[in-house]
Amino acid sequence: MAKYVYIHIPFCNSICSYCDFCKIFYNEKIADKYLDKLKQEITTRYNQEKIKSIYIGGGTPSSLNMHQLEKLFSIIKTFKKDNDFTFTIEANFDSINEEKLKLFKNNSVTRISFGLESIDKNNLAFLERKENPENIRNIINLSKEYNFDINIDLMYALPTEDMTILNKDLDFIFSLDVNHISTYSLIIEDNTKLKIKNIKNISEDLDFLMYKNICKRMKKNNYLHYEISNFCKENHESVHNLCYWENEEYYGFGVSASSYINNKRFTNTKSITEYLEKYSQSYSENVSKEDKMDYEVILNLRLSKGISLTNFYKKYHKYLEDIYDYEDLVQDKLLVLDNNRLYISEEKWYISNEIIRRLLERKK
Amino acid sequence: MKQENIRNFCIIAHIDHGKSTLADRILEETHSIEKRELRSQMLDSMDIERERGITIKLNAVELTYEYNNELYYLNLIDTPGHVDFSYEVSRSLAACEGALLVVDATQGIQAQTLANLYLALDNNLDIIPVINKIDLPNADTTKVISELENIGFNKEDIVLTSAKTGEGIKKLLEKIITVIKPPTGDINKPLRALIFDSLFDSYRGVITSIRVVDGEIHVGDLIKMMETNASYDVIGLSINTPKEKQVSSLKAGQVGYVYASIKSISDVLVGDTVTLEKNPAQEALPGYKPMKPMVYCGLYPVDAKKFEDLRDALEKLKLNDASLTFEPETSKALGFGFRCGFLGLLHMEIIEERVEREFNIELIATAPSVIYEVILNNGEKLMIDAPTKMPKKEYISKILEPFSKVSIFTPTTYIGPIMELCQEKRGNLVNIDYLDEERCTINYEMPLLEIVYDFFNKLKSITKGYASFDYEITSYKESNLVKMDILLNGEVIDALSIIVHKAFAYNRGRIIVEKLKEIIPRALFEIPIQASISNKVIARSTVKALRKDVLAKCYGGDITRKKKLLEKQKEGKKRMKKVGSVELPQEAFMSILSMDE
Repeated sequence: MAKYVYIHIPFCNSICSYCDFCKIFYNEKIADKYLDKLKQEITTRYNQEKIKSIYIGGGTPSSLNMHQLEKLFSIIKTFKKDNDFTFTIEANFDSINEEKLKLFKNNSVTRISFGLESIDKNNLAFLERKENPENIRNIINLSKEYNFDINIDLMYALPTEDMTILNKDLDFIFSLDVNHISTYSLIIEDNTKLKIKNIKNISEDLDFLMYKNICKRMKKNNYLHYEISNFCKENHESVHNLCYWENEEYYGFGVSASSYINNKRFTNTKSITEYLEKYSQSYSENVSKEDKMDYEVILNLRLSKGISLTNFYKKYHKYLEDIYDYEDLVQDKLLVLDNNRLYISEEKWYISNEIIRRLLERKK
Repeated sequence: MKQENIRNFCIIAHIDHGKSTLADRILEETHSIEKRELRSQMLDSMDIERERGITIKLNAVELTYEYNNELYYLNLIDTPGHVDFSYEVSRSLAACEGALLVVDATQGIQAQTLANLYLALDNNLDIIPVINKIDLPNADTTKVISELENIGFNKEDIVLTSAKTGEGIKKLLEKIITVIKPPTGDINKPLRALIFDSLFDSYRGVITSIRVVDGEIHVGDLIKMMETNASYDVIGLSINTPKEKQVSSLKAGQVGYVYASIKSISDVLVGDTVTLEKNPAQEALPGYKPMKPMVYCGLYPVDAKKFEDLRDALEKLKLNDASLTFEPETSKALGFGFRCGFLGLLHMEIIEERVEREFNIELIATAPSVIYEVILNNGEKLMIDAPTKMPKKEYISKILEPFSKVSIFTPTTYIGPIMELCQEKRGNLVNIDYLDEERCTINYEMPLLEIVYDFFNKLKSITKGYASFDYEITSYKESNLVKMDILLNGEVIDALSIIVHKAFAYNRGRIIVEKLKEIIPRALFEIPIQASISNKVIARSTVKALRKDVLAKCYGGDITRKKKLLEKQKEGKKRMKKVGSVELPQEAFMSILSMDE
C-alpha cells in the first residue's frame, strides 16, 4: 500500500551545470503533451490508496505556465487524501510569482521547496544559475504570508567556494528564517556539464570542515539535524522525504520517476520521447525480504533517530541483532544503541557509508 | 639413417623477433604439417606461451627435407628466449651443431640475441644469420646487415626471410643443410645421451628429451642417469614430426623422447647424461650444472581457505618445472603461504600468473628477494631467502649478496642516463663495447637485488624501450646490508620488510612510506606509516583518517543506486588484505620495490 506520490515535471528554463535529473528546456507544446501522458499514467497505475503526501519535483515544476499548472492540479485531484495530507512543490525563484503562489494555495499545496543553492556570484556562475537576493527575500516573505512551509536548498563544497563564502550563504539563509533547509555537498554526477568539463571535487578535508561548520551553525540557529543533509525547525521534518528514509512504499509518476510498490522497485523510462510514446520502465528490481531488511538499515541510518528496534521487529518478525552482528560497531562507537534505537551519531555521519558497509558485512 | 644426413639446429632470437612463426613456416615448407593443421606458433604448447609470445618449455621436432636427391633429417630444437631460462638454453644449444641467429629487420640486434650468440659460439655451433620480418614497411634490412657485419658475419651468408610471406624459407633450409655440420658421434661407443628437457605427462610419467651423442638406445634397455645414478627401463622411444612417431631405437646424432615410468620430474636433471646400466660410458657429457632458484618471494592466497589449493597448484606446476621450489611459510600479516624460489623474475611472473589463471587462486605476492649468505659471529653460514628470516644484527658477522654481470645493449645516446641508473643501483662499470657508432653494450657488475628491484622498468622508461638487457649471476660478495621494517599503525608488517644497502636505506625508506601513503585507502582512523632499521625510525608518513564517505542525497530515485554502491564497496574491500587493523590493497606488497619519487 503506497501512501506517497512523487510526480516528475522534467522542464526547466535553463540547465544547471551540476544537474543530472531528467530535464529538458521548457517547451509549451511538449509540456502540454507530457501532462496528458502523465494523467494517463496516473489513471492506469494508481490503486485508489489514501495518500499522505504528494511531492512535485523536477526539473522545475514552477516553469509550467498557469494554464498547465491548473491542468496539473486537476490531475492531482484524482488522488484520495488522508487526513494529515501534505503537498510539496519544487520551485525556482525566477519562475515564481504571486499569481502562482495563489494558485498553489488554492490547490492545497502546503509546502514549497526552493532551489536557492548559493547567492555568491562566483558560485552561481559555476552552477550556471541566476539568483537575486532581493527577489528571493520578497518571494520568501510572500510565501510566508500565504502560510506555506518552506524549504531552501543550499549547495556547498564548490571549487569556487571557501569558508567565508559558505558563511555568507548561511547568513543569508538564516536571515530568511524558513523552517526547513537541505544542504548538499557537490556531487559531480555522470552526464552533467561539470563531468564533461572534468571538474574535480574540493579536498575531502575542506569538504569535511564545511560540513562540520554547517552542522554547528544550524544548531546555533535552532535547526534540528534530523537527516544527513537535512535540517528543520522542530516538527517541520519533510513528511514526504521521511517516507524514503523509513523505507515506505511510494508511487513515482512521470518520466524517470522511481516507484517502490508491492516489494518491487522500478524506474520509468528516462527518455522523454519514449515516455510520450508509451509508458515503459528502464529499471526494475524485486525486493526480497532479505533485501528489504538491508534497505531498511541503509535508509534508517540516514536519520538521527536511526533504526527503531521495535519497529524493525514489527515489520520483519525478527530481531535486528539476529540479522546483523553489530555489537562490535557499538563498542567501537560507530553505532549508538540507546533507548531501543540503533543510530549513527551526528558527528560520525560524514563516514556513514563506511559504517553502513560494515554493518552489512556483519549480516549473519 | 646416415649420420651425415642429420642436422641438429636451434633458433636463437630476441623475444618477438619472430622465432616461433619462423619455426611454423619451416614446418610448413618441409610438409611436416599441413596448412590447415597449423595453429599459429605450433611449437609453443602452453596457452601462456602463445599469449606472451615466449617459449617457456623446450620442444624438438624432426623434419625431413629432400635436397640434391638426398633425404635430410633436420631436428629443430626450440629454445626459450629469456634469460631466466639461460641454463636450459645452454643445454639445448649443447644438443645442436648449428643455430639460426634470427634478427628482426625492424629492430636489429638486441642484448639477448648477442648473449645467446656468444653462448652458441662457446658451444662451437655453426651460425646462420637470418634477418626476419623483411616484409614489414619499417624494415631496415640494410642497416641490420651492417650490424651483423660488425659482429663478424659476411654479407653473403645472411639469409633474408619473411616468416609471414614465406620468402627466403627454401634458401634457409638449403643453408641449414650446407652450412651446419652433421653430428660426429661414435655409434660404436657406449651410450651417451644429453638430457635437454623434460615434461610431465599424466599418463606416461616424465617424458625426457634427449640428444644421442654416442652409441644407441633401444626400447627395453635399462638406462642410468649418470648424475643421480637412478636406473629405469626404457618403455618407449619416439620422435616428434611434430606428430608423435614411435621408434624402436635412437642412434648417435638423433634427437627424440624417452619414456621410462619416471614419476617425478625432479629425477630427470636437465644437462645430465643418460647411459646404459650394462656397458656404461666412462665419462658424462660436460656442462651439467644443478639449477638453483635465484629469486624468491612469498605467495599467499587472498582467501586463507585456499591454502591447500595453493599447495596443490604448486605441486602440479612443479611436475613440469624442476626449477620451481616452494616450502610453507607463515606471515603474521598474510597468514599461511609458501616461500617460492624461481630462476628469475620472468619465471616468477609466469608461475604467479599460472596459479591465478589455471587454478583460479587469487594471490598476494610479496616483493621478490634474492638469497643471501649470512655468516654469524660463531662462524655458522646461513642461506637467507626472505627478509624476515634475517637474524638480528648483533649475531651477524657479515652478509654476502649475489652479484651479476649485466649487459645492456643500447643506442649510444642513452649511455648517460643508463650509467646514472646503474650507479644508483650500486653498479660498477666494467666496460663499454661499441658495436658501431650508434650502438653499444654497457657491461656492469651489479647486485642481483638491485636488478630485482624494478631495474628493467626503469631501464625501459629512461631509454624509451630502446635498450635491452641481460644478466648472469657471477659471485657472492660482502655488502653492508640491513633489514628495513615497515610499520603500519605501530605494528611491523613482516611481509613488507626488505633488505637494503645501508647507504641507500634512508632514501629507499622515504620513497616507500610515501608510496604506501598513496596506496593505502583512508580508514576510520589515522594510519602512521614508518620505515625502521633496528628499531630506529628513518622515515615516516601518515594516511589521514577518512574524511568524507557519505552520500549527500538519497531520495526516491537514488535508493537502489545507493545500495548498489555499498555492495560494490563491500566487494572491493573483500579483495583487500586485513593486516592488523589496516586494510591493505594488493599493490601495497609490491610498492616496496618502487624507486620513483
